[in-house]
Amino acid sequence: MSVFPSDKTLLNSPMAAESVEKAASCPKLQFAPFSSALEAGFWHQLTQKKLNDYRLDESPRSIKGYYYNGDPSGLPTRLTLEFSAFDVNGPTPAYCCAAMGTLYNTNTLEAFKSTDKKALLDEAANEIWTAIQSGAAVEDPSILSKFIILTFADLKKYHFYYWFCFPALCFLEGIKLVKDPVLLQQKFSPQQVSAFQAAYDGLCSSSGTTAVPYFLVKYSEENVEVALLKDWDLFFTDLKKVTVGVYDPCTLPQHPGWPLRNFLFLLASKWGSQLDVLEIVCFRDRTLQGCRSVQQSLVLEVKLPSLSPSAACPKGVGWEKNPKGAMGPRSVNLSECMDPKRLAESSVDLNLKLMRWRLVPSLDLDKVVSTKCLLLGAGTLGCNVARTLMGWGVRHITFVDNAKISYSNPVRQALYEFEDCLNGGKTKALAAVDRLKKIFPGVNAKGFNMSIPMPGHPVSFSEVTIAQAQKDVEQLEELISSHDVVFLLMDTRESRWLPTVIAASQRKLVVNAALGFDTYVVMRHGLKKPKDSDTGDSSPSSSFSASDSSSSSTPATPGTSLFSNIPGHRLGCYFCNDVVAPGDSTRDRTLDQQCTVSRPGLAMIAGALAVELMVSILQHPEGGYAVASGSNDRMNEPPTSLGLVPHQIRGFLSRFDNVLPASLAFDKCTACSQVVLDHYERDRFQFLSKVFNSTHSFLEDLTGLTLLHQETQAAEIWDMSDDESI
Amino acid sequence: MSSGEVSNISSYCLDEKSFHLCCKLFLQHSGVIRDGWSWADVKGSEEGYVKKTAIIPAKLGSLLNHKADDGMNAVTGVDECDDEAVGDYIVQSQVLVHYEYHILYSIGHQVPILYFRASTLDGQPLSLDEVWSNIHPNYRQRLLQGPWDTLTQQEHPFLGQPFFMLHPCHTEEFMKPLLQMADDKKRKINYITTWLSVVGPVVGLDVPLSYHTELPAPD
Repeated sequence: MSVFPSDKTLLNSPMAAESVEKAASCPKLQFAPFSSALEAGFWHQLTQKKLNDYRLDESPRSIKGYYYNGDPSGLPTRLTLEFSAFDVNGPTPAYCCAAMGTLYNTNTLEAFKSTDKKALLDEAANEIWTAIQSGAAVEDPSILSKFIILTFADLKKYHFYYWFCFPALCFLEGIKLVKDPVLLQQKFSPQQVSAFQAAYDGLCSSSGTTAVPYFLVKYSEENVEVALLKDWDLFFTDLKKVTVGVYDPCTLPQHPGWPLRNFLFLLASKWGSQLDVLEIVCFRDRTLQGCRSVQQSLVLEVKLPSLSPSAACPKGVGWEKNPKGAMGPRSVNLSECMDPKRLAESSVDLNLKLMRWRLVPSLDLDKVVSTKCLLLGAGTLGCNVARTLMGWGVRHITFVDNAKISYSNPVRQALYEFEDCLNGGKTKALAAVDRLKKIFPGVNAKGFNMSIPMPGHPVSFSEVTIAQAQKDVEQLEELISSHDVVFLLMDTRESRWLPTVIAASQRKLVVNAALGFDTYVVMRHGLKKPKDSDTGDSSPSSSFSASDSSSSSTPATPGTSLFSNIPGHRLGCYFCNDVVAPGDSTRDRTLDQQCTVSRPGLAMIAGALAVELMVSILQHPEGGYAVASGSNDRMNEPPTSLGLVPHQIRGFLSRFDNVLPASLAFDKCTACSQVVLDHYERDRFQFLSKVFNSTHSFLEDLTGLTLLHQETQAAEIWDMSDDESI
Repeated sequence: MSSGEVSNISSYCLDEKSFHLCCKLFLQHSGVIRDGWSWADVKGSEEGYVKKTAIIPAKLGSLLNHKADDGMNAVTGVDECDDEAVGDYIVQSQVLVHYEYHILYSIGHQVPILYFRASTLDGQPLSLDEVWSNIHPNYRQRLLQGPWDTLTQQEHPFLGQPFFMLHPCHTEEFMKPLLQMADDKKRKINYITTWLSVVGPVVGLDVPLSYHTELPAPD
């Protein structure tokens, strides 16, 4: 038979050899200790009990576990506690044996550590010993499998510490094995096996359960009888050799499980002196593939030492080792499944994965989720863009806005409430961040309450205003640099200029959304080629400039050959496009200049489209350099798993319709043309402040754009009405 | 129409009464072959669910990381060095996973739903990636096409604890051809058994053949 080192050698392996010798000379019965097994629900239930029931009360609680004798070989001997463990009167799973325990839940980690474990064990051992002496354990032997669990629940971190003890009373000299253990099928004929099985089933049903932990056995060639422990005197007439049964959760071929230990102590104490030899059937009741087998049960023969029933309480053992094999508690970190914030995160992620699994297998979610988004403007558009980004699982969202929340805002601006308007109103950028975190704590949101300097809005009143403007520019540059996508969601046209220039210079993807009364434009800015790449880029753009200027006098029809297949780096920006927009003097104003009052659904539509456009761009292998899809491409094979990647989406709510125009970058653009970028990159704030302080003629002169004249007049009118606050 | 029997071609759903009947028959057979299914009553409610737990040896790897090292080993105060009657027989390198399976009825979709959770023996639930890594490679390709693609995370309606579940929105879709075929062959089948054979492999659950051969169909 295999030899098992003692506990001492398990803790200190160099001593193993010595112990093998010692054990071999004297074959003693060894037991497989219980391994604690906790279902996830146990910790949930303990948390509920601690919060609602125990609170700060540390008094011991009754608790219930169970063990099972039907495991296939290879599994450890387990004592399982599930979420129903706290309901001691609840049902025990079928064919399982209940084990009653005591829960000591401490309020602090300190108390957990300093609890006198030896005292707890001694107390439990004494309880078992008393029940053996009094005979109560004969009437109800379930006390023999009593256990202890010491816990501490750190409900702030969702860390749980625990330590099980399966108290066992120790024989001083151990128990001698008279013979090598054999399997029941070696001992019993098939008839005896089935008679035994039938007798056990009969005992279960007559005692109204599906498992009996300890029982008595009598057999002959033809017949097998079993009885409850309390019927000992009636059942056994001859004590020369008696056979007992123990419900054995162990699956090892040579060794019984823990429950036999205290049972042997009971037998030795009650009948030890009268028994010559004790035969034990370690009852294992497996069902494999629907086929029941008790043949694997183990039969042991032992000689019990005699014990004086009046003796003092014997030594108890039974604290469980931790996974490292050391005497120590275990701990488990359940923040992943208990911390509501972590739960929200994993649920959101899983929901998005679902979309990939089910509908768009090639969807690259990580690309979307990890995109850092800068939202310039936290009004109607900003609120809706943020919510849609959250829906896509985007974690990094930053707001820039300089306004406060006013009474008219909450009904249209999805992140604000009435309360936010009181006492002058909260600042939008910060209130939006707070709300995002309330909606989804896993979001990494920041808010910047700041103004964006604008062309034609002088900053040169004093040194203070100049310094402030410089600070704002630097802040904006830094923000754009630290994000991947810039959303232009402001309500004025001029405020889009500076971020357009900076983002074009930094080669950042820009998504722009602007609203009219019942029309909108959502577009991506052309993404200039990286600075170190071939500069031949500007020449094709200028070669197209002739057609650009011609198109500025005739309406650009989406889908014409000139405007199809424009690669991303040659697409226009918001300012390019307005210039080339169909020209009718007075009505040729950008959408946001017409009126800031729009149909309420428009911001939701445009905000959502802006995010969806971004996601589609990100899914394209070339990202911002993707060729612009046009309306005609709607019939063709889409370039990404999500479909088209247009340059612009222009929508007309009155017709419930939209078109997908694309247009080239304009080499005289006041924002993204090379000459503007060159000046910005060379002179930085010096150049910018000139733009802020000058009239339109400065940029006009710079770009040589005479056409701009007419257009800036309109802007001037707008500026005045903006300042006049009618 | 007899309850539980699929005689109404237009609907491949399962009404609640039939669900209970199917479960009853399912549990009867489970009792015979003792594979561990049982009925769980929900306190203070008429409702309940069919449940089973199983211990399955898992693949090593990430699961070993579950074992936290928190310096608690110094906390002993327990001296048990002299217990020679104890053997340490546990194969330390093996990680066991505790699977819990719950079959609930969805009134909304009129189909059964499988809720499940897997955890190591200290009660720490496995992530979905870990669950996936324990699915037999032979099953993976098929499961990706369904019903794995319906996996989602949700609070258990009775326990209020996070579970994974196979969303019922596609159940009728994949059950329909099976039920239709049985119907064509005039064969009565137990909805629960058939359904569980499809969704079971997702969660390491095998449905013994005897459920199909020996379990009486409801009529």
